This record gives sequence, structure tokens and C-alpha cells, in this order.
Amino acid sequence: MTDVAGPDDPAAVAGTDGDLPEAAVRRLESSAFSSGLTVPDFAACLEIGLEPVALVQGFCVMQWGWYGPGSGFMRGMSPYVAGPQNAGAYSETYRCPHGYVSVEHRMWGQNLEQPWVEDAWAQGYGTAYRRMIEEATDHGAHGVIGVVDRVASVADTGTTEFHFLGTAVTVEGGPPPAGGVPWSTYLAGQRLTKSIEAGFMPVAVVAALASVRIWAYCMTEYLMEGQMGWGMPGGPQLVDQVSKAHMAARQLARKHVRGQLAGDELHGARIDVVGRELSQGDEVIDCTLRGNRVRRFKDFDPVPLPRPTVRLG
Amino acid sequence: MTTGAAAPDLRAELRRGAEALAVAPRPSQARGITSDLSVDEALLLHAAGWEPLDLVCGVAVVSVPVGVWNWGRGAISLASDAHDAAVDQASRALGAECGKVRGHGVVGVRVDVAVRTHHIDVELVGTAVRPMDGKDARGNDAAQAMPFVSDLSARDFTLLLRAGWGPVGLAFGASFVYAPRRTAGTAMKQSTQNVELTNYTEAMYSARESAMEKMQRSALAVGGQGVVEVKVTEGPMSFARHAVGFTAWGTAVRLVAKEHQFVRPEVVLPLDDAVVTFEAESLRGKGR
Repeated sequence: MTDVAGPDDPAAVAGTDGDLPEAAVRRLESSAFSSGLTVPDFAACLEIGLEPVALVQGFCVMQWGWYGPGSGFMRGMSPYVAGPQNAGAYSETYRCPHGYVSVEHRMWGQNLEQPWVEDAWAQGYGTAYRRMIEEATDHGAHGVIGVVDRVASVADTGTTEFHFLGTAVTVEGGPPPAGGVPWSTYLAGQRLTKSIEAGFMPVAVVAALASVRIWAYCMTEYLMEGQMGWGMPGGPQLVDQVSKAHMAARQLARKHVRGQLAGDELHGARIDVVGRELSQGDEVIDCTLRGNRVRRFKDFDPVPLPRPTVRLG
Repeated sequence: MTTGAAAPDLRAELRRGAEALAVAPRPSQARGITSDLSVDEALLLHAAGWEPLDLVCGVAVVSVPVGVWNWGRGAISLASDAHDAAVDQASRALGAECGKVRGHGVVGVRVDVAVRTHHIDVELVGTAVRPMDGKDARGNDAAQAMPFVSDLSARDFTLLLRAGWGPVGLAFGASFVYAPRRTAGTAMKQSTQNVELTNYTEAMYSARESAMEKMQRSALAVGGQGVVEVKVTEGPMSFARHAVGFTAWGTAVRLVAKEHQFVRPEVVLPLDDAVVTFEAESLRGKGR
């Protein structure tokens, strides 16, 4: 048996110095670089003076547990509160026009932003991102390009895995970023080159989740089930509560992301919406918005209007 | 694209960018611009004198009364009405968001329509834009005009403007029709035959004519002269196989220049040969 701990050796997994495993320390000290870039992206980055240092990653697994009373994400005792449950959070209430009918009749309804869900998501996403950036910082990188992020549930266990991956790079002859914190971008290769040529320097990848819960009141319940409630005109009707909740989810995601821009711009935004119908009009809408935060470092130099061409062959 | 201008020193540009990030930014109260345009699209818009303003969206959910999809004859007008109402409401919401940021229109709108048993959901997401000089294609104050909504990409939008046309809005048409029942005798007779089910074919034609007509009518209603980039979806409804639906939508356009500007593309001959692949089978000869 040799003295060198192999990958299967438990000692290689749990290091004694610092918080990095011994195997990771060996990898980081290696003179070889690693990169997740495609060959064209790799070539394009070298061309503009970006040198790959290492493939860096960050992980975080979050448990999405109990959101009700007693949880760390406690929302309050009743869903039907009079106003927003967090200062500034979105909330809208709907009141039944019929008066008391029965115990089952839904006399109140509410659209409610769920900051506890948003905070949990931001914590997982932010932690994984920070861990990737820490790895890049340890390598003395100036930035991380070609970032890929993935948010997925782990085998329906109520846990969510956040995974970041990117290529740490240094700018040849360039100064380190302010505070030594590397910048990051989803872009790489030609697209990154074009963005920089146009005068936009990447600052960070940004993302936010907005979560809105619909507690349907009687009218929403009737309409979403295709029934005509009392006092309702016949024919198709706009389901006001659900439409507003969907709009609110998208607007809140945009607001959360804008809060991270600090006057910079968001390019290449991507919006993903997942709606989970619970029952009879009740629904949870999760809207994720992500993109590249960029900063203009020179006045825009418009490219000439391209000439239309037809290729022969 | 050939410009004749000297190629920029990209390494110097990158160093310049890195230097901008090496100093802490000054606190800013500016409202950050958000956009879902790609880098290419943003550059192209700038080249055409337009700038992105904000990512905007419009969503509407409209109910479909119970029993609408039951067996019947002819057009299912309540479902078509629900579809029209949902699209109209979502377009208004999108236009209102665009107006709030003083945009002149929305480009690259992604259209998602979901027809369900009891409700129809429509989602529109795009980027609000405005001309950088504040003037529209006719030289009028862009802010005074009604915002247009277009599902054209920034590339197609730029090309359209160059041809002297401008988008005026989304044109939509939808129609849902019952496929008439076959008689019991016909059904039994056809059960062992390979035959055309004319009831479905006729229903499809009927739905198509109605939807296309509605789309053209909605284009005229927003002041368009025609519709470009028409997309269609058609087929039986997954939850009611006896009903067929046909939807058609595109961008309504009108001529904004005095006359159509002919875009004459240059013919280019790329000198890079297509990759010649090695075919292992060729070693055996053609006789095998």
C-alpha cells in the first residue's frame, strides 16, 4: 500500500487542513487547466485575451420542508390575512359577493406572494453561486464564463439541488475586479466577444424566483371549473384573480432581478414559469427569471446596418 | 458583413472592460434595462436605431363554460370567443406594460396558448423597444402612437422596417368545430375499410376558414394591410376528440414608407467547402 491516498481513500475525501478535501487541493495545485468550453468558444476566448484557469463548480442541496406555522419560513396562522405578510410583499384579497351560504362556500380569496419560498430558493441559488465564485477566487481568476446553472429536485424527496458550473478565466494584462470577486456570465466565445465589442462588460449572472399562491374564492372556483356562478353573466369570463396572479408572478420576478442590477442592464433574460394546480382554482405559480447583468464601459458604437446576402451553394 | 472599417483591437477592449470593473461602481438610481434579446438581436436593433427598454409580459386566463365541448353541430362559438377574449386581454396587458416604460412597441413576443377543458390561458412575453431618436418610421413622435405588439424576431423586425413596412399588432384567429357524427350504418360500414373520414376533413376545413378569416379581420382592425409570419396549429382537442381546433396568428403589418422598398440581397459565394465525410461503405465498392 502506498502513502498516496487514492480517490477511494476516505482520507482523500475529508482533508485535515482547511475545508477542502485533499484530492481537491491536489487538483487545484496542478499546473494543468480545465475548462467546460467548446473548442470554438475556447479558441475565441484565447483570441480576445481570456485565459482559462479551471472548471469551477458550486453545489447546494436545500430541503423544502414545512412552510406553515412553526417552520423557519412561517407565513402566519391564517392564509386570509388582511394585507401583505411581509412588508412590501404582493397581496390581493377577493371577497365573495354572495354573503354567507355554507361552511364550504369560499367567502374569501387571496393572491399572496410567498417570500419564504423565494428566500429559500435565493438561499440555495446564492449559496451554490458563491461556492463556484469562491473556487474561482482561489484560482486567482478574474471572471467565470460559460456559466451553466441547474435547479432540479432530487428524486422527489422534497429536496432541491442547485448546481453551478463555469470556466474560470483571467484577463491577460488586465486588473483584478473590484474586491477580488470574479465577474460571471452565461456567455462565452463569439457571443461574449460581440458583447464586449459593443461595450458591455459582464458583471454577474443574476436570477430570482417569484412565488405566488392563489387561494381561490367562490367566483374563481366556479370559473376555473367551467361553472357559472350566481350573478355571473353567461359565456366566457376573464378569471381576474388567476390572471392577476400570473401577471404578478412575472412582474415580481422582474422586480427582484432589477433589485440586483444596481443601475446595470440585464441582457439575454430567460423567463420560466411553473404552475401547480392544487384544487378548484387554488394554484402555486413559480416564475424564474435569469440573465446576464452587464455594465456599459464605453459609449455605444453602433455596428453598420448589415447587408442582406444570399449564399450560393 | 463587411464594413471596410479597421477591426477593433478586442484585447484592448477587454482590458478596458476589466478596468471598468476594477473600480467599485458609483451608487446608481437608474432603472436597469431588462431584455430577452440575444446579443446579436440587441446589436442589430441598435444598428437600426432602436433600443430595448424592458422585458414585458401579458397574461390572461378566460373561462370556458361547462358543457361547451359536449357533442353538437357546427362551430363551438363559446370556445372561440373565450380564445379571442384571452388573446385580446393578454395583448392589452402587454401593451399597457410597454406604455408604462414609454416603449413604442414590443418585439420578439413569445406566444403560449393553452386550451384546456374549462379555461384558455394565453401568455405573451417580449421586449419593449423604442426608436433612439424618439421618432417613428413616419417621423412622428413615437410616444404618441399606440404600442405595437409583434412576434417577429429583432432580425425580421429590422428587415421589415428596411422594406418600408412596420408592425402594427398581433393578428389572431381561432375556431373550434364539432366533427359531425357519422350515422351508425356509415360507422359500421367504414369500420373495416381504409377510407377518408370526411366528417373530420370537413370540420378541419370549416375551422380553418373561420380562423383564417378572423385573423385577417383582426389584422384590419388594428390598421394592418396584411399578416406576415403566420403560424398555425390544428387538430382534435386532446380532451374532446370529436372537436377540432384551428388557430392562426402572425404580425399585422402596414406600409409606412411611401412605397415598398426593395431589399436586394447580394449574392455571396462562401469559399469554405462543405466538410467531405468519409464513407466507410464506399471501400466495399458499389457492387455490394
